[in-house]
Amino acid sequence: MKHIVIHDPTLRDGNHAVAHQLSAKQIDIYTKAAEKAGIPVVEVGHGNGLGASSLQVGEALESDVVLLETARKNLKNSKLSIHCIPGFATIKRDLERAISIGVDVVRVASHCTEADITQRHIAYSREKGKDTYGVLMMSHMASVKLLVEEAQKMELYGAEGIIIMDSSGNYLPEDVRERISALVNGLGVPVGFHGHNNLGMAVANSIAALEAGAKMLDATSRGFGAGAGNTQLEVLIAVMHRLGYKTGIDLYKVLDASDIAEKDIMPKVPTINSESIVSGLSGVFSGFAKHVSRISKEYKVDPRDVYFELGKRKVVAGQEDLIIEVVMELVKIRDNK
Amino acid sequence: MSAKANKITHDNCGRSGADFKSVAELKNRCILVTGGTGFVGKWITEMVCFLNAEHKLNIKLYLLARDTESFKTEVPHLAKNPCVNLIQQDVRHLSEMPKDVNYVINAAGSPDRREHASKPLSTIDTFYKGTNSILEECFRLPGLHKILHLSSNFIYGNLNSDKIKETDMGTLDSNSINATYGEIKRLTETLCAVYGNQQHLPIVVVRPFGFVGPYQKLDKPWAITSFVRDAIHGGPIKILGNEAAQRSYLYGSDLAFWLLKLLVKGKDDSVYNVGSSHCVSLKELAEKIKNIVDKKMEIVNRTSKEVYHHTSKSVPDISLITKHAHVEETFTLQEALESTIAWNKLMKR
Repeated sequence: MKHIVIHDPTLRDGNHAVAHQLSAKQIDIYTKAAEKAGIPVVEVGHGNGLGASSLQVGEALESDVVLLETARKNLKNSKLSIHCIPGFATIKRDLERAISIGVDVVRVASHCTEADITQRHIAYSREKGKDTYGVLMMSHMASVKLLVEEAQKMELYGAEGIIIMDSSGNYLPEDVRERISALVNGLGVPVGFHGHNNLGMAVANSIAALEAGAKMLDATSRGFGAGAGNTQLEVLIAVMHRLGYKTGIDLYKVLDASDIAEKDIMPKVPTINSESIVSGLSGVFSGFAKHVSRISKEYKVDPRDVYFELGKRKVVAGQEDLIIEVVMELVKIRDNK
Repeated sequence: MSAKANKITHDNCGRSGADFKSVAELKNRCILVTGGTGFVGKWITEMVCFLNAEHKLNIKLYLLARDTESFKTEVPHLAKNPCVNLIQQDVRHLSEMPKDVNYVINAAGSPDRREHASKPLSTIDTFYKGTNSILEECFRLPGLHKILHLSSNFIYGNLNSDKIKETDMGTLDSNSINATYGEIKRLTETLCAVYGNQQHLPIVVVRPFGFVGPYQKLDKPWAITSFVRDAIHGGPIKILGNEAAQRSYLYGSDLAFWLLKLLVKGKDDSVYNVGSSHCVSLKELAEKIKNIVDKKMEIVNRTSKEVYHHTSKSVPDISLITKHAHVEETFTLQEALESTIAWNKLMKR
């Protein structure tokens, strides 16, 4: 039976869904439940990762230190993981401190065509003996060849595995199969997949990834995450059990964890609404959802038009300030009519 | 640097350079090493200092590099040796070389594949312009005997050879960023061939394989450096990729003595593999390191595939260099690892 490592970013990607307002108490509650369920890796932090709390992408309720120390206290067998985008996270200010708090897993992420920026962070984390992975975000924006080359760079830098993110929930299973197969063939280290559910394909895409050779999957309780949410953890585990994959996760306890998450962590369970469908179709980062929704409402423009325009501009995470620019242009066009 | 660490490298040179009479031709000569402050340069310096101290060869050494200041900090015992002269220059834009140079070892440019991946254009530029610039300058040296150009085993591309001979030639996917290093090293070899043919420069090309030893930075992206680092930090030792992949490792002091021997014995216009012919799988290598540091240490293998249809092997056939330069490996892999680990532990203190 094939063993698959599940990474659970409920407390990181989920932070996008609540404008980064997860509290220490909520971290405490969920990490206890995750530990009980035997989830191997639990990722915690601001939605955009370590050091990202800012006016530009949203200020977090709690500091990285509070988030990580709270989680660390409860995670004994489960590993504590962070999402780390160089630029937001500096080595000296952020990574060094996170490692001193006791982080076990460092996932160094970049836009899918910018792996070069991850070299120093990956090297630092490896040097400190941490499990270190490379993450390529918005992976639908790179050709398969380019994606493999960027992943190979991360492998050279020392990444022990590469995870591709379908950050806008744009993929269909065949897209995932093609990319994961190419990565498995082109890399020596394990490959993982992080899905989003904008087109309702997150679980199916994750299974396609497994069939193509992925050894790691990301999933969150009730799919708690940016936009339409992530691959729903408890559903994924149930499906994987049925398919005969081994995860080491207790099904009943992960169901309990997701019930707890729904009750205590999320104001509302993520759903696939019209905006998230358009976000998926246009290939726009799911983390933009709240900003697009708010600004479109404020200026009375159709958020679907905003998504398609952002998609045309190939915006990436961190370019949230372009939303207002696009909205203002749409306003100008409307007013000129 | 501790005296104990220096004693290790000095003693290593004594063992590798026991046949010092075979390089007696270098007595009172002058060698210039480009890229002289890296792993190869440090070991050549160590060996020359040893030969001068113990066997009165009186070899003068010029080490040319972009950053000579870090050399002074990292290896003060070598930088302060009277035979060592540091020249801070970018190899791409050389001004005149010292006129008393008799031998040139071109070891400029980083073999670090992370740099080749992150800065492919700069890699191409440095190797091409650097080699060209060095060969142009060599043409103006009145007492030049030999140029040793360090190429790379990467020029062999994908090969299925058991042990790679100098005449074997695999393919490189030239339409890939991964071909950057292999292709530019091929081009520098061709440059050497052109200068040999048209300017009659006495050039010997060396294709280095894997090495191990003190002065090799443990943050380098090679299996052996990662394993040693993991082990010294208390483990686990992480094997990334196919644990059955086969490699070989020549010890640093042997490498230095082999290169000096090639200065004397290498035949012009020839190409020589330089490396150990004793192959070891990554799994065996990790086991050896574990057994030296801590027998209870865990070894983990992170791999993308369950089954590999092709196992990469990068081990040289060294019959040509053995025949022409009568070299021998004086350190077994076990001894090389023990010495490397002991040195790194001393440096960590």
